Amino acid sequence: MGLPQTIPLLGWSWDDVIFVVLSGVMLGSALLVVLGRNIIRSGLFMILSFAALAGIYVLLGAPIVAAAQVLIYIGAISVLILFAIMLTQSKGGSAALTFHHQAKAAGLAAGLLALILTVTVLWTTWPEAVAPGVAVATASTVVVAQLLFSNNTMAVEVISVLLLAAVIGGVFLAKREEAPDAGEPTPDGSA
Amino acid sequence: MTGNEILALLPFVLVVGLAMAIVLVDIIAPHRDELVTVVGVTGLLVALAVTVIAGPLPSGVGALPAGGQQVLGGVYARDGLTAFLDLLFIVIALLSLLFAVDYLKPRALPMAEYSATLLFAISGAMLLAGGRDLLILFLGLELLVLPGYMLAGYAKRDGLSTEGAIKYFLLGSFSSAILLFGFALTLGFTGSTRIDGIAAKLAPIVAGQAPISIGLAMALALLTTGVAFKIAAVPFHYWTPDAYQGSPTPVTGYLSVGPKVAAFALILRLFVVALAPLKGDWLPVVVILAAVTMTLGNLVAVTQDNIKRMLGYSSIAHTGYMLVGLAAFAGAPVGSTAESQGLQAMLFYFVAYTFMNLGAFACVAALQRRPGVTSQIASFAGLGRRAPLLGLTMTLFLLSLTGIPPTAGFFAKAYVIIAAVQTGGWVGVLAVIMMLNAAAAAFYYLRIVVYMYMRDAPENARPLTIGAMTRAGLVVAATGTIVIGLLPPITNAVFDMARQAAQAVL
Repeated sequence: MGLPQTIPLLGWSWDDVIFVVLSGVMLGSALLVVLGRNIIRSGLFMILSFAALAGIYVLLGAPIVAAAQVLIYIGAISVLILFAIMLTQSKGGSAALTFHHQAKAAGLAAGLLALILTVTVLWTTWPEAVAPGVAVATASTVVVAQLLFSNNTMAVEVISVLLLAAVIGGVFLAKREEAPDAGEPTPDGSA
Repeated sequence: MTGNEILALLPFVLVVGLAMAIVLVDIIAPHRDELVTVVGVTGLLVALAVTVIAGPLPSGVGALPAGGQQVLGGVYARDGLTAFLDLLFIVIALLSLLFAVDYLKPRALPMAEYSATLLFAISGAMLLAGGRDLLILFLGLELLVLPGYMLAGYAKRDGLSTEGAIKYFLLGSFSSAILLFGFALTLGFTGSTRIDGIAAKLAPIVAGQAPISIGLAMALALLTTGVAFKIAAVPFHYWTPDAYQGSPTPVTGYLSVGPKVAAFALILRLFVVALAPLKGDWLPVVVILAAVTMTLGNLVAVTQDNIKRMLGYSSIAHTGYMLVGLAAFAGAPVGSTAESQGLQAMLFYFVAYTFMNLGAFACVAALQRRPGVTSQIASFAGLGRRAPLLGLTMTLFLLSLTGIPPTAGFFAKAYVIIAAVQTGGWVGVLAVIMMLNAAAAAFYYLRIVVYMYMRDAPENARPLTIGAMTRAGLVVAATGTIVIGLLPPITNAVFDMARQAAQAVL
């Protein structure tokens, strides 16, 4: 525990430095996701970006959100996306992205948005109050569970309905068509 | 949970349960479209009855207290507005089911998935009608639009349908993200996700008459952009024509009514309640949006040769008319009668618009029952003689969309204009713009009527048969369009309900 309170010579606090590093990694890898020519590499950089975001959550005192970020975004969603890319890529097609015609306009818009948001954040006096009931530093799984099943019961239930609707819709759209002339579909899919 | 809380949630739970039941029915007895339709229609009628029983509706109808019943600590509440909108959403679902049966079958598209998805979307709309928490409102919105994307792409083998669905999906997701960002800034600024909590936090800021801070202005801008996308207001309407043209016609009918009214339900909770203290700040934006939306919608509609695109642009124009009602609310002094009248006019407009617009699309769907009939306006040539009843109902819906008395459309427009004139100022100017627009719109609506009665049908036109379900739906829609306009007791009943609904958010 020999670390000084702040970084020697510069006088910055450790939190700030870690934040700058993490957000730098997050933004840089996010840029690589959209600028890269190879879609699989884009997917891998996306994982890095998610991981850096998880680090920022830890820094902000939300370890459970960070854990969920790792489990769901890195563990499940990224892997699914990578699988989807690999399964749907045709051999003949190039792996390079084809949507780069409007890169300049997009860059300009992104820069403008960043500027506006910076001005917004810096020039506004944000109220100190944190959302009620969220004791950030002590957020244990018990607290989260209690919040989920007291104030947010309805939200949890609605999310389950939402997922069900999404699954039904997704399965319908992805389902292979039965042969158009097959009037009577055979059971058990044994066509 | 008390009995009243369960009763307040019951209509929503019933619709969700019905969607699941339809999936189960399809597993037990696959490909039985008639069975699915019967289950769906019966279930929706039950849900309609339960909504009436729960209330609260005018003159003491309904078991719940007139002031509204809160559920689960106030994240959801059933008040006059919830009851009003829920009834409307269930009617929308009912008509959308009836109109789809005869259209989907000849195209070998399954009814079960359509019905289940439609009902999930309607349950999302019902959540928007009663949500009092930003989280619930956002989930309701997603539950509304996600099934909508899928319905837009329902004709998988049709390239246009897929294209429209992709455009709808991309722009829809994008606008949801913008809206969510707005929610996040609002939460950061007020520290509350509750609708009334936000209003309470904002009230002192406004009382000082100081200009609002940049952070709050940014939140307001993002929220406005997000909902403008959802209601398809110009200039956030680019997804509309393609999504409407590509979707199977009954889906287009649903998309032009359901998600639009539901997004207005979000506006009612978000802008009319939560952001009410800032209404002086968002009024100018609404005035401009309304003027541009109705004018551009009508101007572009005139140039369309495809009936679905034309009705799509016409629905954009109608968004503008509804926004005039919102502007009449926002422009009026707090607590005045003009404030309430603006909202009532807007709510009344929803009802009239539901019947006439769904009806018009149902006529297009009936005409296109046989696959291969294009959406070109020329398809309507001679329809008045080929199918006299269909021609007559289509004429009725078009006259109502134009706003000719004594149809529901006339009264809806009249109430909005009266409310706008009462508020006065720039909103009064809007009333003038709206009248000019309504007159200009007559041109393209009546063009269809001219085609139906004054052009000869093509030589090779095959006889047109209208299915029983479509006929039943057309009867309901036509009756609604006439009765709401012509029978004073019904007009008054709808207006009373609208009044009570407006009181719930004032």
